[in-house]
Amino acid sequence: MDVLLNDDERMIEESAREFLDGECSPKLVREMEEDPIGISRPLWEKAAELGWQGMCLPEKVGGSNMPLVFLGLVLREAGRALAPIPLHCTAVAALAIAHDGSEAQQQKYLPDVVTGKSVLTWAFTEKDPRFIAEAVHMTAREKGDNFVLNGSKLFVDSFLGADHCLVVARTTPRSKGGNGLSLFVVDAKSKGISHKTLITLAKDKQCQVDFKNVQVPKANVIGPVGGGWPIVERMLDRGAALLCAQMLGAARKDIEMAIEYAKFREAFGQPIGAFQSLQHNCADMQIWIDGGDLLTFEALWKLDQGQPASVEVSQAKSFCNEKCEAAVRQSQAIHGGIGFMMEFDLQLWFRRVSAWTMRMGTTYEHRARIARALIDVPGEVVLGRPLPAVLENAGAAVANA
Amino acid sequence: MDFAYTPQQEALRREVQQFIKENVTADVAEETNPESAMDRPRGQGPKAAALYKKIYERGWLGITYPKEYGGQGGDRLTQYIVEEEFTRVGIPVHLGGSGAPAIMAAGTEEQKQYYIPGLIKREISFCLGFTEPHAGADLANLRCSAVRDGDYYVINGQKMYTSAAHFSTHIYLMARTDRNAPKHEGISIFLFPMDTPGITVRPLWTIQNNPTAPDGTTYGNARTNETFFDDVRIPKSCLLGEENKGWRVGSMGLNLDRVGASRYLISVRRDEDIVNWVKSNSFNGFSPGKDPAIRDKIAELWIEAQVCRLMTMRSMSIVERGGKFSYEGSAEKVWAPEHGVRVTEAITQMLGPYGTLLRTSPHAIQDGVFGHNVMGSFQSGINHGSVQVMRDQVARRGLGLPSSRKSRRAEG
Repeated sequence: MDVLLNDDERMIEESAREFLDGECSPKLVREMEEDPIGISRPLWEKAAELGWQGMCLPEKVGGSNMPLVFLGLVLREAGRALAPIPLHCTAVAALAIAHDGSEAQQQKYLPDVVTGKSVLTWAFTEKDPRFIAEAVHMTAREKGDNFVLNGSKLFVDSFLGADHCLVVARTTPRSKGGNGLSLFVVDAKSKGISHKTLITLAKDKQCQVDFKNVQVPKANVIGPVGGGWPIVERMLDRGAALLCAQMLGAARKDIEMAIEYAKFREAFGQPIGAFQSLQHNCADMQIWIDGGDLLTFEALWKLDQGQPASVEVSQAKSFCNEKCEAAVRQSQAIHGGIGFMMEFDLQLWFRRVSAWTMRMGTTYEHRARIARALIDVPGEVVLGRPLPAVLENAGAAVANA
Repeated sequence: MDFAYTPQQEALRREVQQFIKENVTADVAEETNPESAMDRPRGQGPKAAALYKKIYERGWLGITYPKEYGGQGGDRLTQYIVEEEFTRVGIPVHLGGSGAPAIMAAGTEEQKQYYIPGLIKREISFCLGFTEPHAGADLANLRCSAVRDGDYYVINGQKMYTSAAHFSTHIYLMARTDRNAPKHEGISIFLFPMDTPGITVRPLWTIQNNPTAPDGTTYGNARTNETFFDDVRIPKSCLLGEENKGWRVGSMGLNLDRVGASRYLISVRRDEDIVNWVKSNSFNGFSPGKDPAIRDKIAELWIEAQVCRLMTMRSMSIVERGGKFSYEGSAEKVWAPEHGVRVTEAITQMLGPYGTLLRTSPHAIQDGVFGHNVMGSFQSGINHGSVQVMRDQVARRGLGLPSSRKSRRAEG
C-alpha cells in the first residue's frame, strides 16, 4: 500500500508535462477550436514519438505494454494542457482491440496506432444516452461475408479525424433480450456513412454519425457475435476511468490558476486570497481534486491488476463529475468578470471540464451502479474490503429480478 | 502506486480477527460496554486488563514505537491494520491523543524510558489539558500558568474538556510560562501525575448521557471534565521539551493524532451500518433500500467514505516514506469529519422518526446508534483542530495563500 507516485510514475508525469509545456500552448488550443477537424496532427505525431499511443498496447504491435495507470498519468497531463489530440478515444478503441480482438485484428489496426499514423474512435451512444445495452438500437444484419449496419450514433469523439471507428450494434433483435450486441471495426470512410458536427460546450467536434446500409466484413467483428456487451462494459470502464484522469488534470490546472490569481489580485486593500472565505473555498477545491485523483487511480490500478473495478470506476466518475464541475465553477467565481471573457484563458479549461463531466456516465447512472453492488447483493459490506459480490453479478441479479 | 495490502499484511489482519474472535468475549465486552465504562476507560476492568496483556504479548501494542521503549519497531500500516480491527470491536489499541508522539519527539531520555513503555502497556494514561474557558480553537490564548519556584513549577488555572481526567494516571498539560512573550512563545508542556495535590476534577456531562451511547458512536462519551489547578507544585523535570517552546511540541503531537484507523473509522462507521441495515430490513413492507432517492444518497455517501479511506492511506504513505505533511493531514481532517456529519444527517432522513430513537428505547434501530450519532458526529469537526482551522492550514501551508491583514497584525 503506497498511494503516492513511485519514481517511474513520477518520471512519466514529469516528462509528459515538460513535453506539453513546450508543445501545447493555449494558442494551439484556441486554434484547434476554430479548426474544422480540431486535431493537431503535428502534436499527435510527436506524442507517438514519445510512445503515448502505444503505451498500454502489446509489444508485438510495437507498444510498450505498460500499466493503465501510466496512461492515466499521461492523460492527466494531456487534460492539464487541454492537448488537442484524440488520445482518449484512440486509447479506448485500441485497448478494446488489444484486449478482445483477434491476433489478426491486432496486427491490422494497432501498429498504425502506435506510430501515430492512425486515429481511432468508438461509437456506442445513440438517442438514449445511458450506458446500458438496451440503449443500443442500431442494427447489424448478416449478409454474405458482411454485416450491414443501419442506425445513428451520437456524441462520437474526434470522428472527423478518425480512420476507424469501433461501432456497437445489435446483432440480436431487442425482442430476444437486451444484450445481443456486437462490436465492429468500421472504416470511417465507408460508403453509407455520413455525419453532422455537434456544437458542444467544449467545441470539440463531436459528431452524429449516420449509418445507411454500411457494409462491414465479418472479419471486423471484435469478439464473439452477439457477445459484445461484456467487451463494451470493459471498454466503457477503462474509458470512464481514463476520462476521469484527463478531467482531473484539467481541473487541477484550472484551480491552480484561480489560486495564483487570488494571490495577486487585490481588493479592499489586500490580495483576495487573504480573505478567509476564499481560502476555505480554495481548500475545498484542493480536497475535491485530491479525492478524485485517489479514487481514479485506485480504479485504474485495480483494472491493471485484472480485479473487478466497476464499482471503483463508478466511484471515480460520479465523484469527479460533481467535484470537478464545482471546482472549476469556483475558479470562475474567484476570477470574477474576467473569467467570463473569451480572451482570458481560464474559460478554455472551464468549458472542457464541464463537458467531460457529462460524458461516459452521469453521476446518477454511476451511483445507481454502485447502489446495486452495495444493496442488492446479499452479505455484509465492510469498508476497505472487497464487496460481497462483484458488480457483474449484481447486474445479473438485478436483471433477473 | 500500490493500492493493496501485501499477503503478509492480509495474513496479519486475519490473525487479528481470529484473536478477537477468541478473546474479545462477552465478559470482556461487559467491561467495555457504555454503562459499566462510565467511571473508567472502556476496556480497563480486570478482564479487559488481562486482554490488553495478551494483546501486548502478541506484539500489537505500540507497534510503531522503538523496541528500546517497549514498542515493536514496526511500520504504520501494521499499526493501521491492527488498530482498525480492534477499533471495530471497541478496544482501543492506539496511542493517538496519548501524548506519546510528542514525548518521543521532544522528551528527555528519562521521560521516554518512563512514559513510553507505560503508555504502550496502558499502565499509564494521559488526559489532555489543552482547552480553557477562553482558549478553544485559539488555543494559544490559554491562561493556565506555570510559575517557576526553585526546582519546581507552580500551576494555577482551569482546563476544560479534560476527557478521561477522572481515570487517567497523568495529565499532559499546556500552560503559560511567560506572560510577556507573544502568545505562541510563552507556552510550555508539563507531564505529571493526576494524584498531585491541588488538582480537582469535576464532571461535565455531555448530551450523550442518559441514555449513554452504544459503542462505535461518533463522540459517544457521556462524560468529560473540567479540571482545576490550585497551587499544584510539580518538579521541574515534568517539563516536556524546552520552556516556552511548548507550542511547537504540542502541534507535533496533534498532527500525528489526526490520522490513523480510529480517526478514519469514527467518520465512516455509519456508512457500513446503513448499507447493511437497508439490505435486510424494511418497515412493514416498505424497504428504504429499494427507494431510488435513498439508493442514490447511499452510493454518494459510500463514495465519500472511500475518499476518507484513501486520504488516510495517503497519509500513511507519506509517513511511511518518512515525509512530512504539507496539508494532507489537515485535508483529511476536513473531509472525514464533514463526511461523518453528512452521512449521519442523511441517515436521519432515510429513517425518519426512527432516527430519533436512542439506546434502550423501544423500536430503537441498532441500539439507537443513528440517533446518538446526530449528537456526536459534528464533534469530530471541532475536536483536535476544527475544520475551519484545518481549512486555514490547507489554504496557507498547502496552497500558499497569504494571511489576512487582520491575522498578520494579530500574529504581529
